[in-house]
Amino acid sequence: MTEEERQLAINPIVQSSVQHNTQVISNIRNLTASLFGVAAGTLGLESYPGFIFYLLGTLIVSVLLFMFRAEGQPSKYFHRPMSDLWLGEVFGGLSGFVLTWTLFYGLVRA
Amino acid sequence: MPFLAAVLNTMGLVFLTHAIYSTHEHHSLTASSPYKTSTTAIPSFPSIPLDILIELLASTLALLTGIVLSSPALKPIQWSTWSSSLSRSGRKSEGKYTKENIEVLGEGDPFQFLGLDSVREGEGRRGFWDGRGARGEYVGWVKAGGKA
Repeated sequence: MTEEERQLAINPIVQSSVQHNTQVISNIRNLTASLFGVAAGTLGLESYPGFIFYLLGTLIVSVLLFMFRAEGQPSKYFHRPMSDLWLGEVFGGLSGFVLTWTLFYGLVRA
Repeated sequence: MPFLAAVLNTMGLVFLTHAIYSTHEHHSLTASSPYKTSTTAIPSFPSIPLDILIELLASTLALLTGIVLSSPALKPIQWSTWSSSLSRSGRKSEGKYTKENIEVLGEGDPFQFLGLDSVREGEGRRGFWDGRGARGEYVGWVKAGGKA
């Protein structure tokens, strides 16, 4: 038995809550990623500045989630707060970001 | 809080649309003009007026806050906190319930939409019977005098 297994045996976690939280985080990430794409395309960012903009935006979303949804106690809602809250689904939203980024760049600038 | 989120979302959408429209107008006006006013050193630096830039970023921030605030609340994952919050708030927090206060977990037949069954049963997969809740109701009924 590893240390983590022992810890889980003492403090079991509720699987349905974990699924619900992951779903909520994933929804928010996808929505905000397309929103960042709209902003980046309208700003006319190209190449690396666009991706830096996206990373800065996801950091803001993480802080908002930390303050308003996790109420400052991420370990109460996430098994691994670092990978589930701060980095969760960051790269899953990247495709949606590029999609709206290129769309709005073309719509506004071309 | 839901009202604030709705206000933030609506305002954010309106101002974001306005900012995008302004950017489009700005570019369609300056693209044909011979006087290029803003030539910045960095080629990909936003070359839009400052007021549109501020409007765009502020509306994005408002929309972000609105989206986060309007999302459903997270549930505690620790079994102890989760069950204590359940017993405090009662089991009837969400989902569908039958007349006997039993939770309906699913519609039962996942292929109902095919219409192969001529008679719709309407029986869902049932959750557990809330024994503690029923006992609490019974105790309350006894304390109230035991009249139906």
